[in-house]
Amino acid sequence: MTATTINGRPLVLPDDPDALLIDVIRDGGLTGTKLVCGSGVCGACTVLLDGVPVVSCLLPAQAAAGKALTTIEGIGSTGLHPVQKAFMAHDALQCGFCTPGFVVEATAFHDSWRATKGTATPSREEIAAALSGHLCRCGAYEGIFRAVAEACSGRFDGNDPVAPRLEARDKVTGLARYTVDIHHDGQLEGVILRVHVAHARITSLDLAPARTIPGVAAVVPLLDDDNMVRFVGAPIAAVAARDRRTALQAIAAISFKPEPFPAVIGLDAARRDDAPIVFDKKDRKRAGNVSEGAGGAPVSWKGNVRGPSAPFSQKAKQAKSWLDEARAQRNPLLVEETFRVSTQQHASLEPHAAVARFDGDQLTVHISTQAIHESMEKIAKRYGLPHDKVRVIADHVGGGFGSKGSLGLETIAAIELARAAKAPVRVAFDREEELSVAGYRPAAELKLSLLPSTEGRLKALSLTAHADTGAAVNSLIAGLARLIYPADAKELVDYDVLSNLPPGAPFRGPGGPPMSFALEQAVDEAALRMKIDPIRLRKLWDPDPNRQRLYDWAAGLDVWKNRKPAAAQEGRYRRGVGVATGYWLYLWQTGSSVELAVKGGRIVASCAVQDIGTGTRSVIANTVAKAFDLEPQDVEVRIGRSNLPRGPGSGGSRVTASVVPPTLLAIDKLKAEIKRTASRTPAPGSNAPWREMIAASPDIAVSARRQEDGTPPPGIRPALHEAGIMGRVFGWVLRLMNHMVVGAGVPSSVQVMEVEVDTWLGHVRVLNAYTGLSIGKLAAPMLARSQAAGAVIQGIGYALYEARETDPLSGHILSGSMEDYRIPGIADMPKLEVHFDEAGFEHVPGGSVGIGEVATVPTSPAIANAIRDALGVRLTEIPFRPDRLVAALKGRDAA
Amino acid sequence: MSVAVMTARPTARPTPEFRAGGTDFSERRRSGVSQGLVVDISASGDKAITWDANGAARIGALTTIATIATDARIAAAYPGIAASAQGLATPQVRQVATLGGNLAQRSRCWYFRRADIDCLKKGGTTCPARSGNHLYGVAFDLGPCVAPHPSTMAAALLAFDATIATDRRSGLSIADLLGDGSVAHADHTLAAGEMIRSIALPAPLEGERASYKRAISRTYAEWPLVELCARVVITGGKFQLVRLAAGGVAPVPLRLTAAEVALHGQIADAASIAAAAKAATSGAKSLPMTAYKLDLLQGLIRDVLERLSD
Repeated sequence: MTATTINGRPLVLPDDPDALLIDVIRDGGLTGTKLVCGSGVCGACTVLLDGVPVVSCLLPAQAAAGKALTTIEGIGSTGLHPVQKAFMAHDALQCGFCTPGFVVEATAFHDSWRATKGTATPSREEIAAALSGHLCRCGAYEGIFRAVAEACSGRFDGNDPVAPRLEARDKVTGLARYTVDIHHDGQLEGVILRVHVAHARITSLDLAPARTIPGVAAVVPLLDDDNMVRFVGAPIAAVAARDRRTALQAIAAISFKPEPFPAVIGLDAARRDDAPIVFDKKDRKRAGNVSEGAGGAPVSWKGNVRGPSAPFSQKAKQAKSWLDEARAQRNPLLVEETFRVSTQQHASLEPHAAVARFDGDQLTVHISTQAIHESMEKIAKRYGLPHDKVRVIADHVGGGFGSKGSLGLETIAAIELARAAKAPVRVAFDREEELSVAGYRPAAELKLSLLPSTEGRLKALSLTAHADTGAAVNSLIAGLARLIYPADAKELVDYDVLSNLPPGAPFRGPGGPPMSFALEQAVDEAALRMKIDPIRLRKLWDPDPNRQRLYDWAAGLDVWKNRKPAAAQEGRYRRGVGVATGYWLYLWQTGSSVELAVKGGRIVASCAVQDIGTGTRSVIANTVAKAFDLEPQDVEVRIGRSNLPRGPGSGGSRVTASVVPPTLLAIDKLKAEIKRTASRTPAPGSNAPWREMIAASPDIAVSARRQEDGTPPPGIRPALHEAGIMGRVFGWVLRLMNHMVVGAGVPSSVQVMEVEVDTWLGHVRVLNAYTGLSIGKLAAPMLARSQAAGAVIQGIGYALYEARETDPLSGHILSGSMEDYRIPGIADMPKLEVHFDEAGFEHVPGGSVGIGEVATVPTSPAIANAIRDALGVRLTEIPFRPDRLVAALKGRDAA
Repeated sequence: MSVAVMTARPTARPTPEFRAGGTDFSERRRSGVSQGLVVDISASGDKAITWDANGAARIGALTTIATIATDARIAAAYPGIAASAQGLATPQVRQVATLGGNLAQRSRCWYFRRADIDCLKKGGTTCPARSGNHLYGVAFDLGPCVAPHPSTMAAALLAFDATIATDRRSGLSIADLLGDGSVAHADHTLAAGEMIRSIALPAPLEGERASYKRAISRTYAEWPLVELCARVVITGGKFQLVRLAAGGVAPVPLRLTAAEVALHGQIADAASIAAAAKAATSGAKSLPMTAYKLDLLQGLIRDVLERLSD
């Protein structure tokens, strides 16, 4: 046994040479230090060893012997550190899972900077270099830059600031508890046994050897009832044991026999005529779902190809014939191109995780989920339990981005293991599971033809998308092109191409970014051929009033007005500016309810909704505070519990528009109730009449459900109305099946990107990003800005770096670590200007709609168009990695 | 999905492994690729940088990368070594990773790093990357394994003619230590139980300059697609000495001798550098997915040498 100190207290280190420091820290109850990548690249586990930042996920515990260890809990334990205050004030965080690591590193940087440089302000480059060992998937980098710079310059040496994010203090101090941090007495660790072949029938499965291992409390099968496995990593069984190591030994002891079936990997192989079939006709219902809504009409299959699905086509035959004619005539305005987008992993820093616990017949499940209320309903249904016997809890969720919207295997395994073991069980995916079997935005091939008329209108558009959905269906990419740029005729066809890869899942505006990647480049190309300014052309072709205003904003940017043509550039580095447009549906969830109460002289707002880093607590607190002339901190917001009034899921950018309107209704009711029950009126001339009345009020409670919107002004319609009768049908289905309403008005985004291309090293850097957003009034302005910034950097990742790599023969996911699946770091964050146009949603009570998805839709095509502007060469496949850049440049040289 | 989760069989005979900083080791341990006994050497070895009367440095094998990256005398005498150390991994990893560990680290090949896939380095009979996905593979295909050598410091030391002493041998060149790339099963030639003790650098030459750069897709913290450490002596505007060592392109760090020869005695300008950059790819044999590395290699040579010629 060797000794050290942790946050000034004695700590005994284990003798086990394999023990890692992170496990010693977390097992000791200090859960602010997070395990994310396990490979030293993300920095979430950073701690100080004698004041030096190190990654505890790789550090042998024995390396801490005789040294002073400081975790996030030890920083600012006697009052917040200036860095923590600055992070709070600048909203340098979203989900907060990476925050402790960033804060630990930044305090070390701050302290040594101040010791040598006083209150000088470090440059962006200095901060980026110091924090280059950290990754944030929400993309809070902009706030982090500001926070570190201002902390170093001494601006946060004084009093604690007011944070725009309600739970910011818990997140910068490491006290915020996520699902992975939950620990009940007697809790067991669950691990899932997964198959190592891509396609097989499991002909025998023997769980008994696992049960005999000491420390194993439960073993449950997870095989589907057809005993088939259709991708590497498909689940076979799960084990709960006293610790992870024992659980791993136990699953290694399970024996099973896979009878191999021919497998096919990826889009190109799977659509060949002779490709092995992944789902026989009878098994098609077993495929997963990559979309947010329910599936539409029945769709035909041919082999592994599901489709065509073309409900949003409009005079498809006409479009075809016009395009054929233009092709035959070699019409120079006809734009035709095949684009490819790659698979994007959500890479949430908190993995999929659940902790299940039975107390008698009461089931409590902590889940890292985007839908606590719906999860409760689904668990109750699956296990035949009444709703009040299931409680789902998610106080903090370390990112989701669409991957945590449905009842996942981690939850099912935790519940079944807990039931079998009669003890609480935690199941948390490891990073490789997270980056392989936890869902992704499918890659796709997009064939596009676009034909302007001789008068310069948009005449015909054809877009055919083949999505690489793995063991899942229901991709909608091409169809989304119906809801923007009206044309005389559109042929919009979607196909799913299934193969023996893990199933895709919804991801932030699911088919939006791929559709926009193709369409916005085609519109850009049309503008080039028509010799018209690309923003001007969009103004002509796109009548949406929200975007019309954004186009005016974009056209007025200096960076746009001062563009230099590619032909004028020589030399190694070239600069370019590109524009692109995006939209998303305005969605809200019916039945969303909010309770407002006065309890002990304080307002308490309650809703069974979750905060995945998007700022739900603050949105509710701000809305209530404003109505009562209070500070948001004066309002207690209770969320993250399924037994509160039914709230929306965090998907489809629907939370703000679902919870603000009923909150406003409840505010009116509560005001009336406070007045009615008041024993005395406030002193005449009081500065804070509501504050006084609330303080004096007896405990009362009111609640309200999401009301319908008001009547929109003429011409403001739901986006789906662009798609005629099929759009309306789609809307009805969404409302009936998914409780989601597509409201009037279209959340919109126009982005302008300035890039620099290093033609020698194939490196693309986004220098400046400008994002204009029309999402109505801002319920929480700084947090909206954080989301806008995060959406841009995630879009930059999609455009420049992120690619899932697979083995084409075996179907193994090769990019299963954060070293190999490359999300953007702080130095990759461009300078950013955010423009909010707050008009357009006055018919929505409160005037606010969601931002999360629309803000990321146009980033990749804006970058593509900027590269085209810089080089005179159009790249059609993302990510625009160095290998693709140098190849494209060579192609140009050869031509 | 660690090895046990994937139910794979053990892929190699567990052999004892040294652990210094543990950064590479712990990752392989977590994934199940390393299963042998741990021999922790972190407390026992040499962490000192010492200088002899001629101004030559000897670096203890357990010296951290951060120490090398920030040591003022190293930066003055061997700027290419310092820059290489500054460019690798992340700040936190550099704090604990050691020079000896960097030289002896294992391959970054995706297939090698998965415990459930056999490969030549794990005692298998074929290279799954060669027939599969080798996007980050070699562009100089010198042996059966297509993974580039992972050590940034090895390339830097190669450029500086460093020699390595182990507990059994001394005076080893980088080529002696790492082989010629034809041996697939290992990333170095150390015998079982043989430990790197120290690295000796010759005294810097009069007027020599050096630099380092890696080509990556992001700004920081990424394994190099291609990296280059260059060392030059320019007198009277002409290259008197050129040492170019590239990483990321071959199973071992590669001296680019054709480019060095092409530059010797030439005027240090963009034209001669560009010509030499082309020459650097002579003898290259890229794989179906790695031809781009030769373009990046040329770009790096031009970048680094033009800066050194300024």
